[in-house]
Amino acid sequence: MEQIQAAVSGALQGSLFALMALGLSLTWGFLRVINLAHFGIILLGAYLTIELAGPTGLGPLGSLLVTVPVLFVAGAVVHLVFDRFEVSELNSLLISYGLLIVIIQVVQNVWSADFQRLPGDINPYATQSVRIGDLIFPLPTVMAALFALVLVVAMKYFLDKTYAGRALQAFGQDREIASAFGIDHRMLGLLLAGASGATAAIAGMLFTLRGTVTPDSALEWVGLVFAIVILGGIGNVAGTLWAGLLVGAVSGLVAIVWTPATSPLVVFTLVVLALIFRPQGLFRRKAAH
Amino acid sequence: MRPTRLISLLVALALIVAACGGDGGDATTTTAAGGTTTTAGEGGTTTTAGGPSGDPIVVGGSLSLTGAFGATGVIHRIAGELFVERLNDAGGLLGRPVVWDVRDDESVTDNVATLYEQLISQEGVDLIIGPYATPNIQAAMPIAERHGFVLPQHTAVLAPTLNYSCQFPAWSIGYTPNEFIPHQLADAMESLDGIETVAVVTNQSGSVSFVSYGRPDVDEPAALEIFPERGFEVVADIPYPPGNTEWDAIATQIRSADPDLVMLNGLGVDANGLMEAMLALDGYLPPMMFALFPAPGPLLALAAENDYGILSVTMFEPNDTVLEGLSAEAAEIAQEFAARAADAGVPYTTFETQAAASWNAWEILIQGVEGAGSLDHQAICDYLHENGADLTFVGHVEFDPEKNNFWETNQMLKQVQDGDWVVVWPEDKAAAPLRGPSN
Amino acid sequence: MRRDRGWILILSLLVVVLVLPFLRDAIGSQAFPGFYMVLAFQVLFWASQATSWNLLSGFGGYFSFGQGAFYGVGVYAMAVLTGRQDMTWWMATIIGGLLAMVLALIVGMVAFRLRSLRGEIFALLTLALPFILLAVARLSDAIDGGQGVIVPVPPVPSFLPTFQDFVFMAGGLIAVLALAVSYWMSRTRYGWALFAIHDDEDVAEAIGVPTFSHKMYAIALTGLLAGLSGAISAMQVGFVTPEGTFNLRVPVMVIVISVLGGRRHWAGPMVGALYVTLLQNRLQAGNLEGWSLIILGLVLAALVLLAPDGLMARFTRRPWTIALVSVLTPVLLVTTGLVPDLIWAIAIGLAVAAVIAFLPSRKEAGDPARSAKHHAAVDELDGEPVPVGDGVVMETVDVRKHFGGLKAVDGVSIQVKEGEILGLVGPNGSGKTTLVNLISGFFPPTSGTIEVGGVGTVGLSPHKIAHLGVARTYQIPRPFASLTVRDNVAVAIMFGREPKSLAAAREEAEQHLGFVGLSDRADALPGGVNLHERQLLEMARAMATKPKLLLLDEALAGLNPVEIDNAVQVVRRIHRSGVSIVLVEHLLRVVNQLATRIVVLDQGRVLASGPPAQVMTDPAVVNAYLGRSADAAG
Repeated sequence: MEQIQAAVSGALQGSLFALMALGLSLTWGFLRVINLAHFGIILLGAYLTIELAGPTGLGPLGSLLVTVPVLFVAGAVVHLVFDRFEVSELNSLLISYGLLIVIIQVVQNVWSADFQRLPGDINPYATQSVRIGDLIFPLPTVMAALFALVLVVAMKYFLDKTYAGRALQAFGQDREIASAFGIDHRMLGLLLAGASGATAAIAGMLFTLRGTVTPDSALEWVGLVFAIVILGGIGNVAGTLWAGLLVGAVSGLVAIVWTPATSPLVVFTLVVLALIFRPQGLFRRKAAH
Repeated sequence: MRPTRLISLLVALALIVAACGGDGGDATTTTAAGGTTTTAGEGGTTTTAGGPSGDPIVVGGSLSLTGAFGATGVIHRIAGELFVERLNDAGGLLGRPVVWDVRDDESVTDNVATLYEQLISQEGVDLIIGPYATPNIQAAMPIAERHGFVLPQHTAVLAPTLNYSCQFPAWSIGYTPNEFIPHQLADAMESLDGIETVAVVTNQSGSVSFVSYGRPDVDEPAALEIFPERGFEVVADIPYPPGNTEWDAIATQIRSADPDLVMLNGLGVDANGLMEAMLALDGYLPPMMFALFPAPGPLLALAAENDYGILSVTMFEPNDTVLEGLSAEAAEIAQEFAARAADAGVPYTTFETQAAASWNAWEILIQGVEGAGSLDHQAICDYLHENGADLTFVGHVEFDPEKNNFWETNQMLKQVQDGDWVVVWPEDKAAAPLRGPSN
Repeated sequence: MRRDRGWILILSLLVVVLVLPFLRDAIGSQAFPGFYMVLAFQVLFWASQATSWNLLSGFGGYFSFGQGAFYGVGVYAMAVLTGRQDMTWWMATIIGGLLAMVLALIVGMVAFRLRSLRGEIFALLTLALPFILLAVARLSDAIDGGQGVIVPVPPVPSFLPTFQDFVFMAGGLIAVLALAVSYWMSRTRYGWALFAIHDDEDVAEAIGVPTFSHKMYAIALTGLLAGLSGAISAMQVGFVTPEGTFNLRVPVMVIVISVLGGRRHWAGPMVGALYVTLLQNRLQAGNLEGWSLIILGLVLAALVLLAPDGLMARFTRRPWTIALVSVLTPVLLVTTGLVPDLIWAIAIGLAVAAVIAFLPSRKEAGDPARSAKHHAAVDELDGEPVPVGDGVVMETVDVRKHFGGLKAVDGVSIQVKEGEILGLVGPNGSGKTTLVNLISGFFPPTSGTIEVGGVGTVGLSPHKIAHLGVARTYQIPRPFASLTVRDNVAVAIMFGREPKSLAAAREEAEQHLGFVGLSDRADALPGGVNLHERQLLEMARAMATKPKLLLLDEALAGLNPVEIDNAVQVVRRIHRSGVSIVLVEHLLRVVNQLATRIVVLDQGRVLASGPPAQVMTDPAVVNAYLGRSADAAG
């Protein structure tokens, strides 16, 4: 029972990291940029939520009305730079690393380096839970899972069922072929980068529901989020969610069967094994070639 | 082509700005020292009788202003600036103004040694003050020792490893903190009824894990040995990594073990993470919980919201009863600090243990210099060994080289009561009685 | 003499490393603070780490985040072995280097065996390494246990004045070693194999580069140097913690440094280390109140946008000006007293040098080789056509290749005799290119045997098959994009059956370029020549491996009639030099003209075989091939 409780709680917690990974995976898979600034945008999402939720009376969920459009633009602007200079995949990593440093420092200059959290009266979700039978789940992680599910389904629908989505998929595989679709792939790229910024806004908000944030938090997410992107398969939307759930469940299970200290060892060993045996990601049916 | 040109211009500009920023600093401080310095003593120019004059005395040091330790670094920075300003207002040091040259080590241990070497050998600072966080202090100590500089340091408490004879701790949990902390907590728990079982939850970081396990290469008692000796049953022993994300699993495990006391030897917001995860299990909270070195603000907020009397350690809290026993200056400093912290955008502005540690470090340094009457480091070191120091927030302390200068601890336990941190242990220093599970 | 400039630079650095401590002691700590030694150590430390990373990841293109793991193994070897086991520092350093090398070799054994673990997948694999080692170091009390390890100050050798001098010299020697290895590789087969792998690993293998072993050499050296340098740096830091060691700081820093400095040049990482270390130090010293990291981030992003190939690529365009400016500026600034602080003076000198490097160069304006309108053309043919002999050059027996349910090649048995030009035709998807890939060993057949000169090749790696005398070209030319036309050919010569040095190979390359009529394009990069010339380059590169059998995979696709005629002449010339040819071609006119025999493939099987005239009138062929792709004949 204890094990099941820990595994499912872990999986739900993992869905938050999947949400963080989603935007990174999308722009990496379809636009061929490795955007570390994404972590900075998530950080901005968290801080803007704290800034807005209380004073404006919007509450954390209501603050999405502001943060989603703002960070949509932020995501698109970052991509504008990559697009304008036709940055290679590797160089995008370095440039966005520079941007990440800048964002972290700006956040610190504005909000100080000290811990920030949403007070309990504005964020009643932090300590609430959902009970199913004997299992109890923290409400913030259930919300994260729901958001992740909705976003993944929506994104999957867009990519598989719409013309623009299929054009993007083609663009991710072969830029020259993609131009034959007759769609303005630049505009599409901006939209996708913006959408990934919007997911960052949601991930940032969800993070503040359960947790305390410092400017350095952005760097703490990197390892786990990359692990999820890799396991899910780069650019694989549904895979990202599955990978988040899997990593969370394994991590939670290891934490309770052995110790939480062992969890990172198991998770990253899993990453290595997955790359060796399923380099295209755990959750992709057909081979990458 | 055009954007390329534009950016190259910007880069050149950035480099020039970077260069000028430094040069400008040189010009304003007009010290012989290279690099730049923060003038913390503008008040010194509108001076009263006996104001400082002459070449400033430069105190160098690094703090983790950015990176993983940044949240606490900002406290030490504000406290230090306040101290220097008050010092200059009061006539400076040896009649000369004091300038604090503080640099950001970015929470990277490798940077610390470099910065201290640079401050001492290149910038030629007169004095140094230690960085914050145990690994950083460990890295700065050999540099200080090599140059024979007195090193007052804020927060490293693992006394046996800090064996440089001119290292002076500003925060002491005695020579054996691994024994003192569990015993003190056990004492407090014995005063309550019905506390029999304990779960020990430990962050693997070197700043705290010795309290649970002792040092890995030394055979010494720590919480996991001491609690059974004292008659408590340890029902769970859960180590977790820094940056842990598995609070749900830990909470589940604790709830199953059902301890009377949770001893969380953690850091920063670990206690918040664990409490939130436990609360999410249908509002579960153990009868008693202790958190070792938490960020005081977020934990106070969460505990107060849930009316939970969580315990922690402290060396100073601005409780009325505590302040009454100290000089009037103490309350004034605490107030002024809170105003500055609020200006800097810091959410929790109370002057407490971390800030007090900072203050202690500065007082030790300044009293050493004044006592020695010179900037000779050996003389300062000798003076402190012989005379100890009188600390505003602690009282008189003695530095025994046999105990690596770790003074008799004034560590107390504090508890969240009615929306505030209140000193509750030991009983003779308590501002209010310790509340047990039933209250 | 000019060529040995690198050795002269490395020797000068060695002299500096050996002399500076004593010079410092002589000058005295007033004029030469001990901190200069710390800063110099840091520059050299990052130069060692970045140079070590650059061997595998810059030269070879295998982007790695594993540097933090290799470095960390060195760090912890020093910390644990000297701090807890009382070993001497130099023993600990050597063991640290070897342990890191072993770890690197394990990574290589796993990753380099699989074709799927290239590019970003390899990068991600190595990204997990520091995280795994971090968890291990925290869990194991024997390594750390989480609390950090104090690294004791080693006894300083009696001939050195201070501990700092000692660490500087030890770290400096490692840096000299790293630079020497890097320079040496960049001038020998070991580096050129990596250059070729960087540009196109499959092609490298096909022209005879043993890619697996060269990747293993590279990763071993990367691990060794990173471990050695990490061990020395542990002494400098004095106290090590798992989270301070096994994180992404070192990998990210070496990537930043190498990219800014330039990944292709052996000295690029050194230059990058100089810039990044000084910039960081000046920003720290500048006390910019929350601005320093913003400036660092912006400078980093801007430099990568502006000079994606790195500073060194720009410096080499006017090396003397740059060298002069970066040395003279600080000297002038300090002697005139304008900027008395030496570090500021050096930083300004470097900044000026960087700005000069970005000024537009006159050379860029007009490239004479490019402006002249060029048509590749070969001289008249000499010699007689080679008669078809009896010896069998290559034979496949019942070869099959199935991809899942798709039978791309389904039981093909063909022979190529000495002096033959075998035309291989068939509609799209009939299995022609798959057959070429099977013969050249790019992938193994599902079943059947292939022999080259009587030697079975199934299971051999492509470079071994290349050494048996099989060369190929690609339908879409795949030159090594960062090598000049001449060096493309030279690489193939270096890795031929008889290994040759770079100098000898370059000389010999001229013959092959002349052979296909590309001599006047020798110094151009492949990106700067037209499609026809790239296809000729493919042939020259293939001929440089001294093949017995050349597989030409649609070598004439996309050419205009004049170019086709020229290419046909070249193929004839190759044939007359005694090479048998398998000609995969769509253009039936060409096949008819050149081939001595034609094999028609359809759906993976041989449909017909015989002299051109006979095959082309075969009703089955007309039906299967011409009927479906009549347009191809035009």
